[in-house]
Amino acid sequence: MGLLEQWLSYPAAWDRILSIIGIEIHWLILQYVLGLPLMVLVALLAYRRSGDARWERMARTMTKALGLVFAVGAATGTASEFGLVVVWPNLLEAAGRYIYYPLYLEIFAFLTEIVFIYLLVFGWSKLSVNAKIAVAFLAMFGAWFSGAMITSVNSYMVAPTGIVAAYDPLTGWKYDQGYPKVLLVVPKDIVGALDVGKLQSLGMEVVGDTGQGVAVLMPSKIVARLAAEAWGGVRVRDSVLKLVVKPEALGAVGDLLVKDVVDKILVLTVQTVGYTTVTFQSPVYPGTLVHSIGAGVTVTAFTILGAYALLLIKSRDEKSRDYYMLGLKFGVVASLVAIVLQGAVFGHVMGEEIAKYNPEKLAAMEGTSSSILSVSRMLGLEKLMPLIAYGSLEAKLPSYDAIPADYCTLLGVPGVSDCRPPLMIHYLYYAKIGLAVLLGLYALLLAFLLYRRASLPGWVLWAGALSPVAAQLVSFLGWAVREMGRKPWSIYGVMTVDVAHTMNPADPLAYVLVALLFLGTLAGLIYAAFKVLYEPSVKG
Amino acid sequence: MEAPVFFLALVFGIHIVAVNVGIALATLVPILKRRAELSGDARLAETARGLFRIYAATYGLAGVMGTAFTVFLLSFYPEFVGVAGNIAMIPFGIAIVAIVLHFFAIVAYWYGWDAFSPTAHFYAGVLLALTAYLIPLGFRAVFAFLNTPAGLSFDGKPWLDVAKALANPTFLPLYLKSVVGALTLGFLFVSAVLAVKGLRGGGLSGVEEDLYRDGLKWGTAGLLAMAFLGAWYTVSLTNTPIKFNNIFKGLGWAVQGVERLSDYSWLFAVKMLLVLAQAHILLRLTVFKPAEASTRAGYLGSIYAATAAALTVLTGEYLNAFSQYPFFVANLPLITSSVPEPWRTILGRSLDLRNVSPLALDPALYAVTAVGLLALLAAAGYFLYVVFLKSE
Repeated sequence: MGLLEQWLSYPAAWDRILSIIGIEIHWLILQYVLGLPLMVLVALLAYRRSGDARWERMARTMTKALGLVFAVGAATGTASEFGLVVVWPNLLEAAGRYIYYPLYLEIFAFLTEIVFIYLLVFGWSKLSVNAKIAVAFLAMFGAWFSGAMITSVNSYMVAPTGIVAAYDPLTGWKYDQGYPKVLLVVPKDIVGALDVGKLQSLGMEVVGDTGQGVAVLMPSKIVARLAAEAWGGVRVRDSVLKLVVKPEALGAVGDLLVKDVVDKILVLTVQTVGYTTVTFQSPVYPGTLVHSIGAGVTVTAFTILGAYALLLIKSRDEKSRDYYMLGLKFGVVASLVAIVLQGAVFGHVMGEEIAKYNPEKLAAMEGTSSSILSVSRMLGLEKLMPLIAYGSLEAKLPSYDAIPADYCTLLGVPGVSDCRPPLMIHYLYYAKIGLAVLLGLYALLLAFLLYRRASLPGWVLWAGALSPVAAQLVSFLGWAVREMGRKPWSIYGVMTVDVAHTMNPADPLAYVLVALLFLGTLAGLIYAAFKVLYEPSVKG
Repeated sequence: MEAPVFFLALVFGIHIVAVNVGIALATLVPILKRRAELSGDARLAETARGLFRIYAATYGLAGVMGTAFTVFLLSFYPEFVGVAGNIAMIPFGIAIVAIVLHFFAIVAYWYGWDAFSPTAHFYAGVLLALTAYLIPLGFRAVFAFLNTPAGLSFDGKPWLDVAKALANPTFLPLYLKSVVGALTLGFLFVSAVLAVKGLRGGGLSGVEEDLYRDGLKWGTAGLLAMAFLGAWYTVSLTNTPIKFNNIFKGLGWAVQGVERLSDYSWLFAVKMLLVLAQAHILLRLTVFKPAEASTRAGYLGSIYAATAAALTVLTGEYLNAFSQYPFFVANLPLITSSVPEPWRTILGRSLDLRNVSPLALDPALYAVTAVGLLALLAAAGYFLYVVFLKSE
């Protein structure tokens, strides 16, 4: 099977393709909403300290750009939100039932963003420098607050709180013991109706008594099956639960919907963990948060670098060259700091989290399969990677070929034929790493040339002008690895894509039209940026 | 009534009034701008630009409140959102496409004001106006479905027969009533904005004076049209007898043989009083004493009329929504028996507004929401003050 064919073979291919286009375009834009307020804030602080009007001009230009990207980002965000409702309704319903709190707080984050970003944009000439600094800080707070809420939900989807993955770096895969498992709190009335002996034979482990319920580590293949039955309208008497319900209790619970049983378990679990904190306790949240905001700042920094490099090449306004040079220096310093932090610190934290909590994804990312040409193997990184990922030379990378293709299903439910993540993410991941290293080296070279006050060759400036595209590509590849690498799961260990997506998908033609609409919006944004930001700057 | 219903009503109320003003301004501004270009009238162009600035701000507010409504709905009633998402792709899809295009048109129209050629800017305005009518088309289809679920079909799973859904007897009157109501409010809003300018002593230019009076005239015509459209919608609601009785039984009209679940006749009466107040002011300023329109009393009257129009929109929406409490679908008790299991059970509880998600029942959550909304609405008020009133 080809790599692309494998990825397309998971259920809901059209839905996934449309979501990639829609969410990626939203992500592409909103990275600037994350990065620009910080850059405006720094420029304003520099202006207050130095009194140099060039800093104020830079802050003003970046604020104009912020207003533009925020408006279009809000449009794509609204569309993505409704897209989730109609394309992934069951996933959204599950999120709304159990992990809604960060989405709820997102309203206030969004309100903060819109008030302070637009106050900065429309009130620029009416605010003092100190007021602008305060407003820029609040705009940044709103944007990062929003990012923190959304990434907590996404983190929960990548590794739900209480997940125990199926890999030990010293002993290998643990599928034969029923892993991966999800920590759940089962209400005592439900426990009383179940045959504990049969449950234990299926890999259930009792962890402790929480008072209202019993904490258990439940194999994800059971959880995934229950999720499929819950959103399929199945009743207990037709469910796999029938196998583990005590015969004397079946009469009383047989008519219940599986959804009601699942609901009781998940509600008590979330209540036990804390409904306000459950997503923030996802084990991959810290890395996700800093890496996501880091991506926004990095892309923004390279875009500033690229914009001023392009102005130095193209502008006929000789009076402004000092200003463009200052902008270029600012962009270079910001890019260098951002990419070093993003790669060496934030990326490393996230990599360790993936290694521990998403081992199947790590196996695909590292290409530990004999069926593909592995870049990692080719470069001789296979011995180094365990040390980086697990902090030990004794550790082993998880073998992709040893992952059972059916580990996420129980008796053929959910309807997924291959539970392994797509191997194509190996190449996407290494393309990302390679490109990021090149970007880092470029920023270092440019910083060196500027420090030495050397003249900048034309190719160096052109490379700078193209660097935002490369930075966006790196970010896209990172996001693609994260999201595609979770397949066939929508929520790892809990819900697969076939359960999450709509029971009434639209015609593919409708999806193509919506995708074209998203692409058209992006083209429109680029055109607007060209007309509003680039053209006036070039003319001087 | 459940506390979440009040949060939903609060953000929905702000959203809907802002959206109504937006529909009208998205129509009027491109027309005024085009007229200004064709006549070379710079003052008219400047007035249009000022109105568009107001539109951008109100649309931002509408967008935030719309998002808040969706998220509140998801948090308090997740199973309803799941059910709606599974069956309503087409009407939501129309609204989604229109929203994206509309946002895009706003950005293009705003940033392209002096940057695009007049023709390109005009077509951006056409897109702006067209999409302003497409968005409610999708959402009103959903609202009509919530009156009576025409097109809801089952073949082992629920799905929507779109042709039958669009033939919903309440859809067309609801849609037309909505857009004409929005235009009526919008015309009066424009007059009120200019009246504020007149009251502040700025004096209205000739073109502004014409616009002010046109707003009052068109607002009067809109109000007259609304009398017919309102009656049409009322008649169509006989297809939703529980809702009809919840509104009109207290006034002596009822569909016989159907139970009334609540009494919102008082809200209907409030709405009618607001309509009468508008009619009184508008007829005085446009028909009986038109010379008074440009006096202090006339300006004040215009502002009162616009305020009454906004409150009419608000009470109308609340009447439409609350009169089906406690169900999301007004006709639910009448159709339940025809729904096959297990969907009868699932729809029975997911369409009941009393079934708030158990994890969202914490009073602390409501307290945080109230405080957070207050703080941010205060910040939004400061924003509007700085942008529109503070001098440079």
